[in-house]
Amino acid sequence: MPPTERGVSRREFVKAAVAIGGSAALSACLDRESPDLPTGEPASVPARQHVWNEALPRDDHGNVRNARHHVVVLLEYAGTGTPSATDRETVTDAFESLERAYPWSNEGLLFTVGYSPAYFARYDDDLAGVDLPSPEALAPFEDPTLDEPDAIVHLASDYGSVALAAEEALLGERTTLNGVDVTGLDAVFDRADRRTGFVGAGLPADNQDVEGIPDDDPVDEDAPLYMGFKSGFTKNQATEDAVTIGDGPFAGGTTQHLSKIQLHLDQWYDQDSRSQRVAKMFCPAHAAEDRVEGVGENLGDGSQLGECPAHVDEDARTNGMVGHSQKSARARDENDDPLILRRDFDSTDGGEAGLHFLSIQASIADFVDTRDAMNGTDVSEDSSVGTRLNNGILQYMTVQRRGNYLVPPRAMRALPRPNP
Amino acid sequence: MDRTPPTRRAVLGGIAGLGTASLAGCSGLFERQSVGNPPVVEDRPNAVYYPSHIEGMGMIGTEQAGDRTIGLMYSYAHRFWTMNVGGTTERVSPSGDAHLMVSVWDGESGRVLPIRSGLSVTIEQDGEEVDSRTPWTMLSQNMGFHYGDNVGLDGDGTYTVTVETGGLSIDRLGEFTDRFGDPVTAEFEWEFSQSARGEIMFRQLDNAGETGAVSPMSDMMMPLSIAPAEGDMPGRVLATGESGDATFVATAGEREGSQYLAISPRTPHNRYVLPQMALSATVTRGDETVFDGPLSPAIGPRRGYHYGTTIDSNVESGDDLTITVDSPPQISRHEGYETAFLSMPDLSLTVE
Repeated sequence: MPPTERGVSRREFVKAAVAIGGSAALSACLDRESPDLPTGEPASVPARQHVWNEALPRDDHGNVRNARHHVVVLLEYAGTGTPSATDRETVTDAFESLERAYPWSNEGLLFTVGYSPAYFARYDDDLAGVDLPSPEALAPFEDPTLDEPDAIVHLASDYGSVALAAEEALLGERTTLNGVDVTGLDAVFDRADRRTGFVGAGLPADNQDVEGIPDDDPVDEDAPLYMGFKSGFTKNQATEDAVTIGDGPFAGGTTQHLSKIQLHLDQWYDQDSRSQRVAKMFCPAHAAEDRVEGVGENLGDGSQLGECPAHVDEDARTNGMVGHSQKSARARDENDDPLILRRDFDSTDGGEAGLHFLSIQASIADFVDTRDAMNGTDVSEDSSVGTRLNNGILQYMTVQRRGNYLVPPRAMRALPRPNP
Repeated sequence: MDRTPPTRRAVLGGIAGLGTASLAGCSGLFERQSVGNPPVVEDRPNAVYYPSHIEGMGMIGTEQAGDRTIGLMYSYAHRFWTMNVGGTTERVSPSGDAHLMVSVWDGESGRVLPIRSGLSVTIEQDGEEVDSRTPWTMLSQNMGFHYGDNVGLDGDGTYTVTVETGGLSIDRLGEFTDRFGDPVTAEFEWEFSQSARGEIMFRQLDNAGETGAVSPMSDMMMPLSIAPAEGDMPGRVLATGESGDATFVATAGEREGSQYLAISPRTPHNRYVLPQMALSATVTRGDETVFDGPLSPAIGPRRGYHYGTTIDSNVESGDDLTITVDSPPQISRHEGYETAFLSMPDLSLTVE
């Protein structure tokens, strides 16, 4: 038994191991958490990389529950010029290795591979059929570092050990995975950065001993995220079909935005009342009517925004406060459906409470529109709502990094050309 | 948030024997005050009132950052009130080691620049973050508008405090038009010690609970968010009135060739501006509606912070002016302001 095991719950231990990474953490992880998993079958993996929902469980209300542990690996192309056929073969084999090793499910491994504007810039041709802008600050009060690695791999599993082992296999640090011989992509890519995290009931409470959260363990045991409420309700999520690129050579792909957000929850838990938290997360009417029980399990498959005033501006003028969900929900398509599909997760990276906001959408513009709605700059204009104060949850977060990526269809996930 | 307020007995025990005269400069006694502020007075009026006690503040420094001057101050961690849904206030119990305060002003005009910028503060020690947050916008009797919050520190030592202002997004008039739009950052070194904090003035008031306000501090070498006197407002004074213990001054002046209606609500006694309100106005002349609409928060070098709009036709003597407070000031309040400016009925005024 490793000495760190004393007094540490299994969940805490796995989370710590995912955050630390590396083979030491992995072997410790495997000692404690040894899922008996079948191997995988590449032929059964969907043609669209981002189609995970059928492979994920649902809660009692039909909401999709994301995998509990996440690792995101940012990769730099190690070669010069444009990738070769050999490079493509190496990368193809590496990703197929993962599919052979684990079943495509929350208990096995789900993953996507994406490429940045910086990656495509090495080609003379423009990226065809997809608008993939470089990342930028998306609010007047944020100054994020812009992530521009070449590629991004998002690994997700209910088992931290699986996500970690998959990362190690990609980096060429192990040759077998779940008993299957595997190969890595380390001859083609260097790891530039990594992000780790978790989402799901119990995990935030088990990992709340970090900077940014008061010391008296305020996070609810049932909360799937640090702020204490459920999110990702079916009615607030775009469908996988809706976020799929419909036309052009990358039809069947999607775009991905990943931001790293630092959370400051001392005020949220020490100073705001429950009523203020409900008002700022959902809407003032939910607080006034006491509509949210606990972490919001009673809300079913949506945050019941129909019960909030239809006009956010009205709340802004008369209540001096607007809710995060209430604002964000204004970003909808012509069918009144949300524009983005959130697959975000909390984090203890760097010893700080954080949120890796990973979302997929048909175009980055859909993300920008959603973030604009969340900023509520229009709402605060003539009202008593502040730029960040009483303006949803903007007061409690600082966006530290942003990055944009194209997630091509699975058949093109190995070093795609911009105009295939 | 009213979590676990100290019992009355504990509070009285903590301050027993502290006569008001004996407090100044007596650091050993002040250690106790963070766990035992005098209790909030009972039967507070729905108006500005003298708080249980007043505190001085320690100046950490002022820095010039681009076109703004930023001052950083601190005092004892103390209770304050945030705004809750439905125009009520929510008491925040004191916690942490100090109440940290930031003021941002224009060095030329001396105007304090309130709200709409998303100002944030980061505290570090030896390169490690100790605290980071978006402080509340606040109103206190001795300082007026500022940004503030209680913060926790890692004991005595040297801290680096970084203030990022964000860009001011409210309407700006005159010489302010193209200014203050960009974020600026200032860095302060803060030598914190509990003993130095204990030197800060702390005095209980004999007249606590009576209507009125302690005077603005005069010795900090920094401007305060005081609204222009009625006679100093540009343009013509249309009317004045009161609602929710605030005084409203309505003026009509000129802005870039148009008529400009400016309404300047201010606190009684100290004349501080009241930020983060939502106001609408209606001007009628007999059966005719001259103006009906919302006002926007704005700031100018002469009018200071106010709520204004351009209007198409002149406001005339005898017109009826109705000012509606769509929401009262959403600013957090230091003691003595938390029961005022909440219920604010319409003002029905006749233009002079």
